Amino acid sequence: MKNGSLVKLIDVHKTYRTGEMEVPAVRGVSLEIKRGEFLALMGASGSGKSTLMNILGCLDRPTSGSYFLDNADVSGLDRDQLADIRNRKIGFVFQSFNLLPRTSARENAELPLVYSTQRLSHAQLRERADRVLASVGLAGREDHPPSQLSGGQQQRVAIARALINDPEVLLADEPTGNLDSRTSVEIMAIFQQLNERGITIIMVTHEQDIAAYAQRNVVMRDGVVVDDRVVPQRSDAATQLEQPLPSTL
Amino acid sequence: MRIAPTFNVAYRALRRNKMRSVLTALGIIIGVGAVIAMVGIGNGAKAQVEAQIASLGQNVILIFSGSTTSSGIRTGWGGAGTLKIEDAEAIRREVPGVIGVSEEVVSTTQVAAGNQNWFTRIFGESADYFDIRQWPLSDGAPFTPQDVRSANKVCVIGRTTATQIYGNENPIGQILRIKNVPFTILGVLTPKGLSPQGVDQDDIVVMPYTSAMKRVSGGTTLRNINVQIGDPGQIAAAQQQIISLLRQRHNIRPGRDDDFTVRTQEEIAEAATATSRVMTVLLGAIAGVSLVVGGIGIMNIMLVSVTERTREIGVRMAVGARGNDILTQFLIEAVTLSSVGGLIGIVCGIGASALLSTYAHWPTLISIGSIAIAFLFSAAVGIFFGFYPARKAAALDPIEALRYE
Repeated sequence: MKNGSLVKLIDVHKTYRTGEMEVPAVRGVSLEIKRGEFLALMGASGSGKSTLMNILGCLDRPTSGSYFLDNADVSGLDRDQLADIRNRKIGFVFQSFNLLPRTSARENAELPLVYSTQRLSHAQLRERADRVLASVGLAGREDHPPSQLSGGQQQRVAIARALINDPEVLLADEPTGNLDSRTSVEIMAIFQQLNERGITIIMVTHEQDIAAYAQRNVVMRDGVVVDDRVVPQRSDAATQLEQPLPSTL
Repeated sequence: MRIAPTFNVAYRALRRNKMRSVLTALGIIIGVGAVIAMVGIGNGAKAQVEAQIASLGQNVILIFSGSTTSSGIRTGWGGAGTLKIEDAEAIRREVPGVIGVSEEVVSTTQVAAGNQNWFTRIFGESADYFDIRQWPLSDGAPFTPQDVRSANKVCVIGRTTATQIYGNENPIGQILRIKNVPFTILGVLTPKGLSPQGVDQDDIVVMPYTSAMKRVSGGTTLRNINVQIGDPGQIAAAQQQIISLLRQRHNIRPGRDDDFTVRTQEEIAEAATATSRVMTVLLGAIAGVSLVVGGIGIMNIMLVSVTERTREIGVRMAVGARGNDILTQFLIEAVTLSSVGGLIGIVCGIGASALLSTYAHWPTLISIGSIAIAFLFSAAVGIFFGFYPARKAAALDPIEALRYE
């Protein structure tokens, strides 16, 4: 595992240009995330956390500064190279699930493999999608389209889709934002379980109690990191699910 | 990228909006169908004209008396009376490669037999005429060179003339009175149908030109001379030789216009098919416009589709689709629309041509080539008009696409 550092940001800036005005969104963030961490990125809206998330997800490039992912500098790559990095190393989970409508859970989960350089047979594709769907508790629902699944189930399909290419890092942008609290805990239980299996997770959230499921919280304000600490009393989603939650009733 | 799932995605996207896809494809169906049917009609007309020109005979050179511009007075073909019987004999004698010559005089008159009479055309010809025009007799026998030399009162008649005068009776051996001269009918020509100008070629009496000049029309000059050449390669040379021979015989000084016109069958065919060729191009072009309109319909729907599926494009990009993958996906969709439309259009076009030839009796001709071109063209329309929307999709910014509501 080399030096154990999976993500390394060095003085990353991102400035948007609207006409003559230059709007700085991220103003010098240096951050190191180790393999196997579960980190929550927090901050109010406008704090620059979404912009930083886009850079971490290789959807956007920093204006200046360096971004090393898995010891490779990705800050200067072009569109196609970034697409390949996203395909091989990053799994996305979105607030609004972003599943393809009228498409079965299995085919949604298979989607990254369609753009993969690996050549898999139709049967292998199917086998892998079913396995990863089963790992998030969706065995038996492989053929259901999103419209026949609950919000929590849809988010699990999205997690399965993020995991199918064995990514280095799972990026979740407000993954519980559209879910009720019990379902949110269920999703956190899956995240913690995945993290225990060694998957690195970076999660953007503005909810303190959701951030409490992570190991480490990084707080941003006005484009800079203002707080970076280890969560002192970590919530354990699995234990919470065993007892009835007063808040959901 | 994997191609099979991409086709699958395209297929599903098209099926999701069934009505929209059908209507979009309809533009291409109509376009391709129109191209197939219109070009079929044009080619059919051309083929018909060509067949009629071929019925003039093979390797034929036609010499008309008079020139279209003789000393400023436009006398037209056959109008000047400058061709003599001796000219024809000289051609027969002196031009190499000639295998048949027929002196021709034409008049129209009333013919009668029994209590029936009929107004028809009288062609005076030599005995070579039936070979030159490849016009065999269906009954009886043609007149002979001896009949021509002796100006015998014999003739053969066309099918129309035969039925008009004799009905179902056998005309062979009967007497036909032309200008009160009794002619014996030797045979009946096989039916030839309409000429390119719409004249009934079977409404005719053919007799030795000597008899026609002496007993019917009374003239001493020929309207035209039909010459047949044995080897197609010699036609051009023979044409030149006939021109110089006739100029010499008619004492035309260098620099003066000919008082005759020499046309090869090829030149006549060229002129006759030019019209139908122009018609084919014109019809095809008009139909092509509807194909382009169909293509614009595809572009329109693809633009709508790209906007509607902006989020899907964002998701695909987020999980690793490159710009080219997105481009290919939308291009495949557009080409699927246009080529499926093209295939249906081909079937419709063939059907429309079949209906036209059955009910309107228009000759139509559909070649494999025109089908292949129409299909390739429809696919090309899909690529051409699908490219702009597809490129637009491929150029989307994944972040904005994901945020699109």
